[in-house]
Amino acid sequence: MTADTAVRARATHDVADAVKDAAARRTPLRIVGRGHWLDAGAPASPATPLALDALSGIVAYTPGDLTLTVRAGTTLSDIAALTAEHGQWLALDPFGTDDGTIGATIATASAGPLAHAFGTPRDAALGLEVVTGDGSIVRTGGRVVKNVAGFDLTRLFTGSWGTLGVITEVTVRLRARPDVDETWVVALADDDAIGGACRAALGAAAAPIALELVDAPLAAALGLGKSPVMLLRLAGAAAAMRAQRDALRALGAAAVGPPDVWQRLRAAEPPGSTVLRLSHLPDRIADTWQVAGRLPSAWRHATPSRGIVRVIMKDSGDTVATVARAADGRCTLIAERAPAAFWLAGPTPMPNAPLAARIRAAFDPAGILNPGLAPDSAPPPATEPTDA
Amino acid sequence: MTRDELGQALRAIVGPRGVLSRASELLPLSADGLPTYRLPPSLAVLPSTREQVIDVVRVLARERVAFVPRGAGTGLSAGALATDDAVIIGLNRLTRIISIDPVNRLALVEPGAVNVSLTRAAAAYGLYYAPDPSSQTACTIGGNVAENSGGPHCLKYGVTLNHVVAVTVLLPNGDIVTLGGAEGETPGYDLLGAFVGSEGCFGIALDITVRLVPNPQAVRTMLADFMSIEAGARATSAVIASGILPAAIEMMDGPTIRAVEASIYAAGYPADAEAVLLIELDGLEAGIDDEVRRVQTMCTEAGARTVRIARDDTERARLWQGRKKAFGAMGRVAPALVVQDAVIPRTRLPDVLHTIHEIAARWNIQVCNVFHAGDGNLHPNIAFDPHDADATDRVHHAMREIMRACVDAGGTITGEHGVGLDKLEYMPLIFSPESLDAQCRLRSVFDPERRANPGKVVPIHACREWLASPAARALTR
Repeated sequence: MTADTAVRARATHDVADAVKDAAARRTPLRIVGRGHWLDAGAPASPATPLALDALSGIVAYTPGDLTLTVRAGTTLSDIAALTAEHGQWLALDPFGTDDGTIGATIATASAGPLAHAFGTPRDAALGLEVVTGDGSIVRTGGRVVKNVAGFDLTRLFTGSWGTLGVITEVTVRLRARPDVDETWVVALADDDAIGGACRAALGAAAAPIALELVDAPLAAALGLGKSPVMLLRLAGAAAAMRAQRDALRALGAAAVGPPDVWQRLRAAEPPGSTVLRLSHLPDRIADTWQVAGRLPSAWRHATPSRGIVRVIMKDSGDTVATVARAADGRCTLIAERAPAAFWLAGPTPMPNAPLAARIRAAFDPAGILNPGLAPDSAPPPATEPTDA
Repeated sequence: MTRDELGQALRAIVGPRGVLSRASELLPLSADGLPTYRLPPSLAVLPSTREQVIDVVRVLARERVAFVPRGAGTGLSAGALATDDAVIIGLNRLTRIISIDPVNRLALVEPGAVNVSLTRAAAAYGLYYAPDPSSQTACTIGGNVAENSGGPHCLKYGVTLNHVVAVTVLLPNGDIVTLGGAEGETPGYDLLGAFVGSEGCFGIALDITVRLVPNPQAVRTMLADFMSIEAGARATSAVIASGILPAAIEMMDGPTIRAVEASIYAAGYPADAEAVLLIELDGLEAGIDDEVRRVQTMCTEAGARTVRIARDDTERARLWQGRKKAFGAMGRVAPALVVQDAVIPRTRLPDVLHTIHEIAARWNIQVCNVFHAGDGNLHPNIAFDPHDADATDRVHHAMREIMRACVDAGGTITGEHGVGLDKLEYMPLIFSPESLDAQCRLRSVFDPERRANPGKVVPIHACREWLASPAARALTR
């Protein structure tokens, strides 16, 4: 089987036509935004690329409503530039760069450090336009900030990795940009100090919009010194800042950090890295951090309030799969990107696989949308693995 | 199995006092607070334990009998009423708060636990449960999950969806699944997100894990009064656009103010005002008074006559009581009250409120507006006498026009009460046939036989594929 000519959609009906055509011919489609997430390294069968990068631009923006509707191929940087003109922002900072698209961010439910205060894409998405696997154009949710009309397909499509439908338009909730936005770096003695530092920081009289742990090697790579650090992002009105700064100083040696540290953290992983997320209850963060520390040549950072440790491995041989699976008994493992060997070691167990399979069949009956990608639990097709 | 035999089978599970079959005892289950719908069920079962719920649903599955899960019956959308001879499964005997984990700020509760009882139980740890529907002293967490309920403080803290981390669900066929999870991320599709707000059509929540939030360090409650509803709407838009995110911005119009002030819930609102805004700010002590001053200035610039700041908790509670009991106070105006729940973009508040006023005048009905202004979630209440056929007819016409105006303004038909039966007819106003059919497809995954809360949420004619299925043909035979 060879991939047909790529389709570059400029309008929703282009997507619907391409999906209908593919469904009729049962040829799989690989949905591509700016090409950053693609396939998470999973061995994917050859598929025709359906490119959405040209399906971009604003559909509706009334700043006073604090909502924004854009086409799915619009980049996060374009959204940031537009909303900044009105003192607003979309408070999502998925790992990678702002060159990624909003459609891919929603489709992969990717979240970054700001999820500490503002939640993940499921909390920001208000409505979607989606082309399902039969070519139907479906609207979910709406353009208002509160909405319980009908079953919640917005949540279903968010994080479905394009396996239930192609997201063509997104409406999100915006927030007002804070007057002050500053980042503090608190140096920690060593890994043993992490549990106590997290408890102290989460109980402090401060309301950071991001609170992230960074291990010593990653801190060094980011130019933040030689010890593990805690990064705290304080934001708000100027009058509220002084007391919060005082509360941070009580945590330890706190200093103002470089403002671009978040961009650097988000883009820290070298190309081709293996990236895994380990998670458990927030009060188990020290244990999860320790489990992650056993993975080879790894950098670690964590969002303690969400109980998530993110592990970046530069050398990812076959051992990664073995070690990662060993960690699995103590916390939930999610692979953002892993070598083919990891995926071929067996399908990652998915909760509620029978329900998930029925949902997949209901929305993509021909099985043509991003086959083989998480969270599609179907085993990879029996073709040669490629580096698609 | 005859109806009598079914009743016997259910009595064998829950005991004789757990099954209701006489018309007089079923009467309280025939409505949910909306006077325009009354559907007396023929059979109701009130299990007391999780095991009984499971056994009941499995018997109903075996016998292919439809059922309606019901909490406190405060939904206001006719969602918890029995259609098609469905059996009502009342869940309000399962009230336990099973555990509270103060470190991870989580609570595990049974579906019938009353909303406010969770906040009371969490208070010992300095925590509370954020979603606070006005019915919170009666409504259940299971009902909140089914409706994805909101409340005044959802402006800042989010709705039920944002606070539920896991649900153990009894599917209509009797299978049990766990959706979401408290212990880290959950891989796969967001089935929890799909379940929240599914109005009892996807199954029954056997237990629910919710997030608790710490009590804010500081709270400031203020009341601004205006001589026109448009001025109050302008103040709301100004505050939202400023970037200050209050915990709540609630508006009451003149008729509501006067109903509240004439009732036992009198809160000290200026009785000659045409609108009041109840605004609450919370968060860190540092900087909060600065925000209060900024909000005060914005209200004054929009035309507020006075802006009063509650001096203490007693005054604060009194200001809130008027808002939370406004529905009760309207009982003074007329014997019955219908309430709508549309949401509009917040910049459209002034003109849509003006349109609602015009519609009310044209149909000669009285509308009281009391609503979550900060979210744009309107609650136009129409007080009327249900025994007056002409008045009832005018109310229905006005309701349809109001709903149409909200949809035309870019809004939606329900923000927190759900579709139920009441808003079925409006679903095609906001969703295309393809979009409605997609919702049907999701429903069929959870309930291929359409036995869970049948006839609600999505108009049946919109379910193209399902209507062609053997299950549908069996039902319609």
